[in-house]
Amino acid sequence: MTRFDAFHLPTPPRGPFHALREGDRAGDLEVRWPEPTPELLRGATDRLLAAGEALRQRPVTSIVEATDRVAARFADPADPLRREAEALLPAATGYHPAMIALVLDRMAADWRAPALSRVLDAELGGTAVLEAFVATGGRLTTAVPPRLAFHVFSGNVPGVAVTSLVRALLVRAPSFGKLAAGEPVLPVLFARALAAEDPELGAAVAVTYWPGGSAAAEDALLAAADTVIVYGGEGPVNALRPRIATGTRLVEHGPRLSVGAVGVGPIEGGLEAAAGRAARAVATFDQQGCVSPHAIWVEGPDDRAIAFAEALAGALRTLEDELPRGRIAAAEASQIQQERGAAEMRAHADPRTRLWTGAGTAWTVVLEPAERLRPSCLNRFVRVHPIADLAALPDLLAPARAHLQSVALEGGGDRDPVIARRLALAGASRITTFDRLPWPPPHAHHDGAPPLRELIRWTDREP
Amino acid sequence: MLDHEGRALAAELSELFARGATAPLDDDAFARHAGRVLDYAIRHVPAYAGYCRARGVEGGDVAGWQHIPAVPTAAFKELRLLAAGATAEAVFRTSGTTRGPERRGEHHVASLALYRASLRSTFRAALLPEGPALRFVSLMPAPAELPDSSLAWMIGDVMEAFGAPGGGVFADTRGLDGKGLAGAIDAAIADDAPVLLLGTSAAFIHWLDDLAADGRRFRLPEGSRLMDTGGFKGKGRSVPPGELRAAYGDRLGLRAHACVNEYGMTEMLSQRYDTALRDHHAGHPAGDRDPSGPRPKFGPPWLRSVAADPETLAPLPPGQPGLLRHVDLANLGSVPAIQTEDFGRVDERGRAYVEGRATGAQPRGCSIAMDLLLGAP
Repeated sequence: MTRFDAFHLPTPPRGPFHALREGDRAGDLEVRWPEPTPELLRGATDRLLAAGEALRQRPVTSIVEATDRVAARFADPADPLRREAEALLPAATGYHPAMIALVLDRMAADWRAPALSRVLDAELGGTAVLEAFVATGGRLTTAVPPRLAFHVFSGNVPGVAVTSLVRALLVRAPSFGKLAAGEPVLPVLFARALAAEDPELGAAVAVTYWPGGSAAAEDALLAAADTVIVYGGEGPVNALRPRIATGTRLVEHGPRLSVGAVGVGPIEGGLEAAAGRAARAVATFDQQGCVSPHAIWVEGPDDRAIAFAEALAGALRTLEDELPRGRIAAAEASQIQQERGAAEMRAHADPRTRLWTGAGTAWTVVLEPAERLRPSCLNRFVRVHPIADLAALPDLLAPARAHLQSVALEGGGDRDPVIARRLALAGASRITTFDRLPWPPPHAHHDGAPPLRELIRWTDREP
Repeated sequence: MLDHEGRALAAELSELFARGATAPLDDDAFARHAGRVLDYAIRHVPAYAGYCRARGVEGGDVAGWQHIPAVPTAAFKELRLLAAGATAEAVFRTSGTTRGPERRGEHHVASLALYRASLRSTFRAALLPEGPALRFVSLMPAPAELPDSSLAWMIGDVMEAFGAPGGGVFADTRGLDGKGLAGAIDAAIADDAPVLLLGTSAAFIHWLDDLAADGRRFRLPEGSRLMDTGGFKGKGRSVPPGELRAAYGDRLGLRAHACVNEYGMTEMLSQRYDTALRDHHAGHPAGDRDPSGPRPKFGPPWLRSVAADPETLAPLPPGQPGLLRHVDLANLGSVPAIQTEDFGRVDERGRAYVEGRATGAQPRGCSIAMDLLLGAP
């Protein structure tokens, strides 16, 4: 039994400690977390606020360099830090080791200097405006970071939490992160590695776990932080929103889903190749990400959609071996069985419905007509819908506007710009390809907002 | 009403049900009856025929009742599973609360007589193993108020069949009639007439909360008992069964063996009940059963359950936990086997231990849940 301490705090906690109830997706991992006493939290937030003073004196380039060194460790298969992550994450999350390796590779790339510089350039034109008043657009402006950022993490995709902490560091804000039960590991490893690499920066990051809905702990952090960043389902987001004080900024990354669309225009490699790319997008994160496609619309006659679904199923079958689906809970398997069985019964009553399935609950493709977006039960369960005219898709998706995130659009041909614009109006914050769907570039508008700017406020100096 | 052939089969089954829920049915006899119900379903419900064919099941012959193809409860939301040639005498709908405002499951019932025959026998075995007629006091609205509730129909039916004068219904679609309820109970206490309380666990929790707020308690007459059912969630409150029984003891003076939980569903016409009252009456107390775990639930001999592996849906041996599947001969007219999302196990004696909805899925963060999107305006 491996033990893991799900915390990194300025002063080691005295306890009492609790065991994290992992749910039946987890493996052989004993995770403990400290009671979030008022003293513990106050001590942490006081130290973080103090660390913020030093942080705001650090040139941003030095923060980029230190983060880059930590990221390089995560990217290096021989590094003990990477090895530790690969040993702990499958047990903590249920994801297959191959998925963890893929996620670590791609996520770590986002924390390397080139990616960090790219987002600083794209959003802020460099680092100067974070450190001084800069003349832009005919006035003098400076960026002011949060005094203390309180992040509430979700556990669906390892790495997203670390990216959140990195963004706060880039703008020179100290952070307190509340870990998710589904993934309590990576932010802790990052914080520890950062502290080892650069104690001053490490002092500006604290993370720990407590069960969601622990009102006293949340209240303590809501009182101390001037910026709150929440990732998660409706529950956590709705529970916190009413308690945000005036003057505190709330950044929400609530529940989102993504979809795919395949038009009759030219497609890179043809329809089958697109299906292969789509399969990979479905399989990545076992479809648990906000970027993961729940459904794919295929323009044209019914047999084009059938051909696409057939190829998608074949590609998912291949991915069973190459990128196996992780361990899921009985409830998740049960949902898949229910949805499959219902789809199968429909298929026996209606020839327009077809079903392809993998071994056990490994993956499912359901082809059927649909007038609206039907969310998937996830874990590689995807619907394919024929559509006569792709131009009708944005209106069909519009009711899901509050939850739509990314759309993989291929084969749009000449109509691409118009359809893309209408998808934007329907709520999509990214229109991309299947290949890129799971991996937004670091400077992408996350849920429609620029990730660094959404943390910053601005001060103007008028002559 | 079923077609001619169905009516004949239903008549045989009714006769079987009338023998009572305690008259055992050996494996061969069960298999024989199950085979005929399966065969009828295959020939009359085309979607089910396809479903069976895909599993290599062409007719009533199947290698063991555990392998009768089980339709997931979700399919009742998508299709009308009613035998060809039959008309529905009632259409019951699921409450639709667990998954939000999406389509509700529908059970088109071809033969209410069959439903009645099954439910009365099992109810009698579970709640009325002995003693004088009881006043039935219901916290469930009458069937006329909730025409698509199979539970309301069932409670209305047993009240009619078994209830002594002096009972009544003390709820409607607006809520509980706390005053009427208290009045009926006070009267029963004054007459020293035992009562049988019936309702959903949620309704009982609500009522007990009201009693606690008023500081009221009742000492129900000797012989009184209670049947509750459904999830153990009050309005936003979840109360574990053991705790609820303790509350029944505290507020109503009922001992644990007099509190019987019923397990049923809209998609299935037979029910299971805690063995507690039957066992107590037969002189078999709970014994060394794990008091914190789920209680064993018995069903009539024409209902058999098995736990299925969540990954493969393969039937599991007795004792191993999985997703519960039920083969219910009273379901003649729809489909004979139902795959549920309920997690639990079945023992060597065929009794089911129901943990509840399969759990373990931590909310998965920013990706979306079905009920959320479907609830979006």
